[in-house]
Amino acid sequence: MMKNIIETNKGFFEITLSVNGEKKELAVKNGEFLVDALRRLGWKGTKKGCDTGDCGSCTVILNGKPVLGCLVPAVTAHEGEITTIEGLGSVHNPHPLQEAFVEAGAVQCGFCIPGMILSSKHLLDRTPNPTEAEIRKALDGNLCRCTGYVQQVEAVKNAAKKLKTKR
Amino acid sequence: MKNIKYYAYPSTTREAVALLANKKMKALALAGGTLVAKTLPDTVETYLDLKGLPIKSIKLGAGSLVIGAGATFDEIDRDKLCRSWAGGVISAAAAKCSSQLIRNMATIGGNIARPHSFNIFPVVLLGLDARVRLQNQAGSKVVDFKDLYSPALKMRPGVDCLITEIIIPGKTRKWRCEFIKLAKTDSSWESYITLFLAAGWSEATQFNKNRKKGRNLAQVRIAVGALGPKPFRATAAEQAALAGDPAAYMAFAAELEAAKAGEYRVSAASSLLERFLQTI
Repeated sequence: MMKNIIETNKGFFEITLSVNGEKKELAVKNGEFLVDALRRLGWKGTKKGCDTGDCGSCTVILNGKPVLGCLVPAVTAHEGEITTIEGLGSVHNPHPLQEAFVEAGAVQCGFCIPGMILSSKHLLDRTPNPTEAEIRKALDGNLCRCTGYVQQVEAVKNAAKKLKTKR
Repeated sequence: MKNIKYYAYPSTTREAVALLANKKMKALALAGGTLVAKTLPDTVETYLDLKGLPIKSIKLGAGSLVIGAGATFDEIDRDKLCRSWAGGVISAAAAKCSSQLIRNMATIGGNIARPHSFNIFPVVLLGLDARVRLQNQAGSKVVDFKDLYSPALKMRPGVDCLITEIIIPGKTRKWRCEFIKLAKTDSSWESYITLFLAAGWSEATQFNKNRKKGRNLAQVRIAVGALGPKPFRATAAEQAALAGDPAAYMAFAAELEAAKAGEYRVSAASSLLERFLQTI
């Protein structure tokens, strides 16, 4: 039998992972998806929307890539590294992307914003000066029912400039 | 997923196929999991997570393009070799699958493991004469992609074997290809029809009327997806196009009608083929 195998313990699986840089040992339910586990354990910045992988509001960064928390069984994040919106910045110390979204008026109801910011962060990490087409492609899985995406695309452009001056 | 008793994270294909072969474990292999994770059959007791397997590389092998089955759509979209192969059609197709968030997770192996109407890669791989390497406990074997869903194969990827590589033959490297997805939006997973169109040339053996050595159209591929779980090749239209028949699109329309495609699909797809043939 291989070493890396986890067996159920009364309907729970015990996993270790890192959330926003902190090592955690968590018991997750059988059949529980990552968005539900994170929210149950307190990371409520990750939103639950469609639950079918269509809206992107449950986006988290798992092992360096934005993924849909509603399609990732929580147990498969075992030994993974997760960044949620709480790991990016705070009210008093916001991330340049969070600042840019506020300044551009890109936030209306706000439900899609955590996912949109995490997708944008991944884009800017690998493409510091993205074109508008690249921004739209990176955000094509994060649906917003309030806006027409114009301010959000603008916000990502502005964040790219902010991050450039910080480097 | 309520009946899952074990989650397994193999680090080698040998470990993974050994677990699949252990019938007591009732294992099902998942890679990106975007299609299957929500709908695991109740009979599955072991979730075999393939994300840790070393089957993600994209490389040249004996003149062919070899794509590891664990390569994600995003990795294929961004890979230089894929972008340079057959006019970049493989990357272009990867970029047209659903949203970036899905493309970050979904793998080419998962996309072809089970037939499904809206899967992008089956139609592309069928058109590119791809081959697929399957591995089980007895060893590995390479099969033509067109035979992957045949009951005669007697191997079921993810259930009793793994797909480890997709091999695109070297002859397709310079083909002129187009992948077209007709859908509500670019990021829609569902599509009305998907088309893979390709033309390949051989060097002419005779001088043409301008006394210049030209090229002869040697290969035409017309593959159609989204009309049923399995893609198919429109072979009558391929033959007509190869023979230079300007009405090849009409043969194509007849083949689509025989496949019970709706009128608008027949009309759109045959027009797209006509346009493609005019450009070559």
